[in-house]
Amino acid sequence: MAEIELKNVSYSFGDRVALEDVSFELNSPFFCAVMGPNGAGKSTLLKLMLGLLKHQSGIIRIMGYDVPREAGKVRRLIGYVPQVIDIDYRVPMSVEEVVAMAALSRDLPPRIMTGNVRRKVREVLELVELDDPSMQFSELSGGQRQRALIARALVSDPRILLLDEPYSMLDFNMKCEIAELLYRLHKDKGIDIFLVAHELSPCIHLEPIVILLNKRVYAIGRAGEVLTLENLRRAYPGLTEVPAGFILGEDHG
Amino acid sequence: MTLDLLALIYLSAAANGLLVGAISLPLIISRSTLFALTITHAVLGGAILGIYVNEVLGVGLPVQLTAFLVALMLSILVAELSEKFFSEDVSIALAVALATTITVVFSYLLARISPAGLSQAWSYVAGTSAVATLSDLQRTLSSLAIIVPLIHMTSGEIKYISFDRDGAAALGLNTRAYRYLFFALGSLAASTLSMSMGVLATHVLLAIPGAIAVKLFRRKLFTASYLSAACLSLGGYALAQALNIPPSGGIGILSAIAILGMVVAREA
Repeated sequence: MAEIELKNVSYSFGDRVALEDVSFELNSPFFCAVMGPNGAGKSTLLKLMLGLLKHQSGIIRIMGYDVPREAGKVRRLIGYVPQVIDIDYRVPMSVEEVVAMAALSRDLPPRIMTGNVRRKVREVLELVELDDPSMQFSELSGGQRQRALIARALVSDPRILLLDEPYSMLDFNMKCEIAELLYRLHKDKGIDIFLVAHELSPCIHLEPIVILLNKRVYAIGRAGEVLTLENLRRAYPGLTEVPAGFILGEDHG
Repeated sequence: MTLDLLALIYLSAAANGLLVGAISLPLIISRSTLFALTITHAVLGGAILGIYVNEVLGVGLPVQLTAFLVALMLSILVAELSEKFFSEDVSIALAVALATTITVVFSYLLARISPAGLSQAWSYVAGTSAVATLSDLQRTLSSLAIIVPLIHMTSGEIKYISFDRDGAAALGLNTRAYRYLFFALGSLAASTLSMSMGVLATHVLLAIPGAIAVKLFRRKLFTASYLSAACLSLGGYALAQALNIPPSGGIGILSAIAILGMVVAREA
């Protein structure tokens, strides 16, 4: 049984097609990166896999569970890391509050932070190398924010991490640090990684499985097989060739 | 004034303050001050609609009920419009336009059939409780008994949903249910407060205690919100008594001073 299985998945926002006949399968263990230009449907794909968008056509199964019907069960197996640009930093939240809600969300209200939850929060913060849970989320650097969101996804011991543009709004060194952290979680903790990004340079040396997506899947396989000029030309209509290589686009967000 | 009446007035003021303190912080934290604008406009429209219906049909509908229901319906309209069609700003503008239309149309119709009804409606703008009654206090305490426990049980989730809506939904939180519950509690608080201190003072006061708590304190935000709301309410009543103006005027003056104080503190 494939851990992630999509068959003929299509999705439209009104007349605008976001995904068209997308099919692929991933078997555990995997470190997979979905690559595509802005507007390629990458975030839509993640939201469909989480059941956050209403399913329109095709089949999505995560670890054997049918996503539209069993979204609750699927969400218990998945840790989700949203795009940082979707977070409202003006809401006053400490790092501890951000991470703890993921642990508390399975309880009924009132969700009270117990000693066990505090301990668990500290454990995952150590894992992502953040040491002060009392810091306000708005006071963190870009890389620290990404780490706090990864910690939140880890606190419920997920089997799979879904990450939406984890390298956006970061300088290159920080992007590489986040990529290394994800790879370490994959290798040491056995967590499967499924991330979407419009550029893979920070993690390309980690040899992820790459899915080239622009509304439909153009190629899937190891980076060396997928990232050929021919495939990129097909998936990136705006690709600009320059003497030193090619330019895919601007940084997201 | 007798001691009993004074005690009743200040007990009502304190209860109003606690009600404001409970709802103000989640309003500020969830960036919903514009939503407060919708509620207060809708409360006014609903109150005038209720008075008109009572005059025309000769029934005794509780005006607070119609105010609450109109506020709730327009809040849900904002939620649905911003979920499916427009940005939140546009949705709020539409709801406020609708509430204002209800207010203007039914004020006009009311003026034609009952000038006394119109003056009753006007009291919802300026506030009625220059002299508080026992029923004012009972009404506020009943609302407090519903709002305070529910707000404390759900404020963490409301805050979290404002922080990261998709993330909260991915954690399994029913974001729509929490939003509706919050709107219902906001509508109930606004309709209760408007009955005593008036729509204008309610509108001003709803945002300030939460803003004071968030701007000036890092911890114990609810305590700060409750205390500042109680101070503004009690102080407003005292100021109104000293200046011989309606309580809403006293609350308005103190609120303006509080806003100026926050601006000065931030600039400093």
